[in-house]
Amino acid sequence: MPDDQSRQFPAGQIPADTAFSSVERRLVAYLVALWRLRVPIRHARPDAAGNPPRRVSLSDGLIWMPGSFRGVDGRRSGALFRAALVHAGAHLRFTGPRFPAAGLKPLQLALVSLIEDARVEQLAMREHPGLLRVWRSFHVAGPDGAGTAPALMARLARALIDPDYRDDDAWVAKGRRLFFEAEGEWDSPALSRRIGGLLGNDLGQMRVQFNSKDYVVEPAYRDDNLGLWDHGEAPPTPPSDAETVFEAFRTEQQERDHGRPDEQLGEGATPARLSATDVPARAVGEEEITAPPWHYPEWDYRVGIDRPDWVVLNERRTELGDPADIARIVERHRTTADRLTALVRSAKVSRPVRLRRRPEGDRMDLDACIDAMVSHRRGEAPDPRVHEVLVRRNRDLSVLLLLDVSASTGDPVAGGGRSVLSVEREAATLFAQALDGLGDPFAIHAFRSNGRRDVSYYRIKGFQQPYDDAARARLAGLKAGLSTRLGTALRHAGRLLDRQATHRRLLLVVTDGEPSDIDVADRRYLLDDARRAVLGLAARGIDCFVIGLDPQGREYLTRMFGARNVMVIDRAEKLPEVLPTFYLRLST
Amino acid sequence: MALDAHRIPEEPYYRPVAGEVALFEAAYAARMPMMLKGPTGCGKTRFIEHMAWRLGRPLVTVACHEDMTASDLVGRFLLDPGGTVWHDGPLTQAVRHGAICYLDEIVEARQDTTVVIHPLTDARRILPLEKRNELVQAHPDFQLVISYNPGYQSVLKDLKESTKQRFAAIEFGYPDAAVEAEIVAHESGVAAGTAALLVRIAASSRNLKGHGLQEGVSTRMLIHAGRLAAQGIALETACRIALVLPITDDADVRDAFSAAVSAAIA
Repeated sequence: MPDDQSRQFPAGQIPADTAFSSVERRLVAYLVALWRLRVPIRHARPDAAGNPPRRVSLSDGLIWMPGSFRGVDGRRSGALFRAALVHAGAHLRFTGPRFPAAGLKPLQLALVSLIEDARVEQLAMREHPGLLRVWRSFHVAGPDGAGTAPALMARLARALIDPDYRDDDAWVAKGRRLFFEAEGEWDSPALSRRIGGLLGNDLGQMRVQFNSKDYVVEPAYRDDNLGLWDHGEAPPTPPSDAETVFEAFRTEQQERDHGRPDEQLGEGATPARLSATDVPARAVGEEEITAPPWHYPEWDYRVGIDRPDWVVLNERRTELGDPADIARIVERHRTTADRLTALVRSAKVSRPVRLRRRPEGDRMDLDACIDAMVSHRRGEAPDPRVHEVLVRRNRDLSVLLLLDVSASTGDPVAGGGRSVLSVEREAATLFAQALDGLGDPFAIHAFRSNGRRDVSYYRIKGFQQPYDDAARARLAGLKAGLSTRLGTALRHAGRLLDRQATHRRLLLVVTDGEPSDIDVADRRYLLDDARRAVLGLAARGIDCFVIGLDPQGREYLTRMFGARNVMVIDRAEKLPEVLPTFYLRLST
Repeated sequence: MALDAHRIPEEPYYRPVAGEVALFEAAYAARMPMMLKGPTGCGKTRFIEHMAWRLGRPLVTVACHEDMTASDLVGRFLLDPGGTVWHDGPLTQAVRHGAICYLDEIVEARQDTTVVIHPLTDARRILPLEKRNELVQAHPDFQLVISYNPGYQSVLKDLKESTKQRFAAIEFGYPDAAVEAEIVAHESGVAAGTAALLVRIAASSRNLKGHGLQEGVSTRMLIHAGRLAAQGIALETACRIALVLPITDDADVRDAFSAAVSAAIA
């Protein structure tokens, strides 16, 4: 098969293949149905030489799926993806720890892998006998094939799965006999090692050709089996590290494409930037200003006045991160995200409400009729409102989520390695995901401050903007730094929310501590200012709620927002789950 | 006698799973209000029918819905040529004549409606009929039972704390594979092997719960599939029309579930 595809599309430009992505969701659900396996699937990218991957690969708990299989006609490719994914699933379900590869020849490695493939498939078929139909049709090797090692191995593979297959070759027959005689030991991976080793020796003595460099596992649905072996090199890396390494590698390639020197790359985990951002990184709180400064008053409780134009607020552009980080967050919180989708679906339908005792309507209100008749008989004037109407109550509200990104959000959450900010980011992600499905207008903004002359305000997603990759990149790029001048941020958020024409307007604040700033020593000053700001918002019909991540925070949050509008979470990690459900509860 | 239509003449089939019959008998002896919790189609309604038969009480069932008002439960004045007449609602009938009153899917009813059961579910055991200015003392044999599906209702629909705390609860789930197969075989008339296979298929749909399915296939659905198979419909087709098609409209999940069905059938 000539290498047409890779010649047509040089490295990095292989078109996003629709084939796998179009069936991905149903196949993922299929694995869940069979074995409750929820495995992250990644699209395998071309190797260093630009060749597209030819087989599925399993590593570090991920399935790397080629975008397409070469030489397979389109109608079969759906079935092939299914077969490949179930085979990978069978490995994940039944293959134990990696085999040590030390001391084995390439031919033996290939044969042990082949027996292991057959073993996990047999075990899978014990549970789900119908899987035979999924796999068998891809075994096309026949007894008349060439006597080369790959051909013999493809015939053996078929002999081990297809009960109706006849093959007179002595080696294939021996393999088949050894494998099925050991049926009682199928549960043990050591079996693959033993039988594979024996058969490898036999094949070696037959002096057939085997070139490990050209060898590709047959049939096409089976994975490359690299994940089976422990070559005794670097210790297996946890998935997150593997991903970082991978991302770093990709960044490197992209940067080279832009003709940048490699020295620009920091150590390892530089996040991939969108190519659109050629802005140099700026320090936190000093990003580019996008609008003329806003001036806001501030309440001074000591003299009891609003100091006019006391605080300067700048809207700034956020640094961009990698939107894929956000996609990964959704993947990691898949269960919560799914549950939220279900919740959102039920909240979305406008619910019918029955209005009774109406002067007109589409049907009679039985109770009102009876009352009317009772009054009539008593000689009173009956109440003419005897109808009822069914109306649908529509959702009509907009919400602004305001995140505190001051320096304290860079601290790790209690009992976990992640920072408060990354928890806020996850929460905002799930929140945006839910709201995007719900259709309520929403915005996500963030703030920090550096004295009264410089409050920074970031629009991650505005009300009019779609929740797209650009918004996700801004969310991914948030960093922690500086202080929390909450009152001014509330006033500005209120001004933006005020422009929304919806019936209800909701401001949700997430913060991890009490307001503070470098030029304020009096603890009460900013607290009272924030309280004043909340009262001002309430007067304009904006409902203000706060979620506090500081378990000791109830007292000061209550002081600012009022007891009914405060929710304190004792464990910050729960925020991603709590925030969207909290919103749904508020909004229905 | 009143409520004769609500008596259960023959024993409804029920296969006890974990001592729930004895628990319920003890609760009935104390006339304790009971809550049956569990996913749909796992046998809650059948259980209460069986218990009503076993205890020899009539069973008044009310399927709750969102538009239900307190008068739908308690009763209302109706008109006849002579004037207004009071008509007892199902709850009042059960209270007067000593039946078991079963409020099915109580969370569907609005919370202000369910409050009418409060005086019945504490030591008072009375039902005030304010429109008639009457206080009905509950018959000594009266018991209130509600059912409640915690998985399926959302944060938007929940029982009030003050309602919840009046009940003792028995939790129902899908039984073990062997027991469930026995139930499916008995109710549908398929062979034990087929029933076991159906239960295995159900397991794969229950794996999908939360991954596209709101709820896995229930025992009741398996019985439907079994009944079709018992009439000679091919098992895969029976599963398709009784399990796969009803449970979801999501094409991808449907495809995954049908593929899992065919993977289970040799």
